[in-house]
Amino acid sequence: MDDDVDAGHTPAEVDATFRTLRRVAVGYFVVFLLAVAAFPVLTLTLDWWSQARLAGGMSPGFLVAAFGLYVFFAVLGIAVARLSSAVEHRMLDGTPEGSPGEALDEPGERP
Amino acid sequence: MRGGSRLLAGVLVGTWAAVYLVTQVLVVPPLGVLPTLAAGLVVSTVVVLGYPSALRGPRGPRRPRDPRGVRDGLTIAAAGRSMPLRNGLTPDAARRTAELIRPLLGGDAIAITDTEQVLAFVGPGSDHHHVGGTLQTRVSRLALDKKRTVVMHARDGIGCPEPGCPLRTAVVAPLAVADRVVGTLKVYRVHDEPAPRVLVDDMASMLSLHLELAEMDRESHLASDAKLDALRAQINPHFLFNILNTIASKSRTDPEESRQLLLRLSDFFRYAVRQDGHFAEFSQEYFFVRTYVSLEQARFGDRLRVRYDLDPQVLTSRVPVLVIQPIVENAVKHGIADSVTGGTVQLRARVDPLTRTTSIRVSDDGVGMAPEVLERLLAGERPGAGSTQHSGVGLWNISQRLDSLFGDRYSFDVASTPGKGTTVDLRIPLR
Repeated sequence: MDDDVDAGHTPAEVDATFRTLRRVAVGYFVVFLLAVAAFPVLTLTLDWWSQARLAGGMSPGFLVAAFGLYVFFAVLGIAVARLSSAVEHRMLDGTPEGSPGEALDEPGERP
Repeated sequence: MRGGSRLLAGVLVGTWAAVYLVTQVLVVPPLGVLPTLAAGLVVSTVVVLGYPSALRGPRGPRRPRDPRGVRDGLTIAAAGRSMPLRNGLTPDAARRTAELIRPLLGGDAIAITDTEQVLAFVGPGSDHHHVGGTLQTRVSRLALDKKRTVVMHARDGIGCPEPGCPLRTAVVAPLAVADRVVGTLKVYRVHDEPAPRVLVDDMASMLSLHLELAEMDRESHLASDAKLDALRAQINPHFLFNILNTIASKSRTDPEESRQLLLRLSDFFRYAVRQDGHFAEFSQEYFFVRTYVSLEQARFGDRLRVRYDLDPQVLTSRVPVLVIQPIVENAVKHGIADSVTGGTVQLRARVDPLTRTTSIRVSDDGVGMAPEVLERLLAGERPGAGSTQHSGVGLWNISQRLDSLFGDRYSFDVASTPGKGTTVDLRIPLR
């Protein structure tokens, strides 16, 4: 017989986890969207973004397009993956300490 | 300023420094002032909103601040604020106190004792006035017995049995908690002029005040612990009987479900008895709540519906232990159990990063409560004899515990409309 009590999650628990994970996904998607949309907006509205020279004669816009966005995507992806795993772990894991059905530690309380 | 706020302030300062570097120093031409301010504000907003969004790992207990850090430029006020005796009359606290006040009292040697033994001795004579040893000098016994300050102008008066003892004069003041003498403060000098009696008296009074405060703290903690123990012991026997009956009835028709219920019941009691401190991660309390609800659902079936609505940020915040489950239990017991069609209990938890508060709302659409019942629950009055209803000690206990944990920095509101349901709102500082 399978000893894993986690198989017995109630629909309400799974539903709650799903909705929290959906909130995480939507939140991070909005961040992604804002960051990507900010690039053309800055190009169109701020001359400094294209004409200034930062490092190696490259403009801030070029540096962001060449390196910054990739770093941002990587950081965002790692963050959302870690957060989602942590949320799932905390919302669906069995006991916060010990294994299901484990007896108390005090002498005389073991079956 | 708390550790988390200090970290956030540091991150904000670093953010503005980075924005300044990138837009003003490293770039040609520098960005205008307004776009720079706008960039800084955008990044700061992202940091403030995103800071509690990252799930934080377990944090170790904060180490108490070392009171020895105020040695330079020591004043009596500074010594008073950092007095180690604030934690009680222990050998370590006594030693640190003696080191701290020695330059203030103008004594060559300082000793602090309780009524039986020397807790600390700093200065000449420490080779034979051993810490942990019994009180050797007559002058200590005299001060303890008379409960007043004693001044000795000659070596013979001190009564030290060691012939080569360099101590010549002594001022010994009793340390008292309320009317009870609990120890002495002794200031010795190696020459004939004793330390100023008034100064030693004042310092002994101040130390006595700290000891009284320590005693009050200890009593307050004991009261908090007792309230938590009371709540822990208050798990309603009716709940246990009902669950055991449910399990017994299901053991014939659905042995697997009855096994799952037994495991959940075991988890429920293990969590309730294993909580030592006053705070736990929200996710642990959430585990306790859903364990409780799943047990009740086995009894009520489709009549009890539940909906959890949780922010991801709230999962790692620390909340007082055994607070949410009793509120949910009240919703089930007083809201849903009496309703023929049943109802839905909703647990909603949010973190507000700007006000740094955690808000928890437990609501139900059950039968609600009459104002007098609500008033009785909040007052913690027990129901009349023969009643099978659970008392409101849970809510009253929660309110008292929140008082002792947060003072006036929390809100706990209960609103109920007969026939429409009950809503309990709790707002506590984010930890």
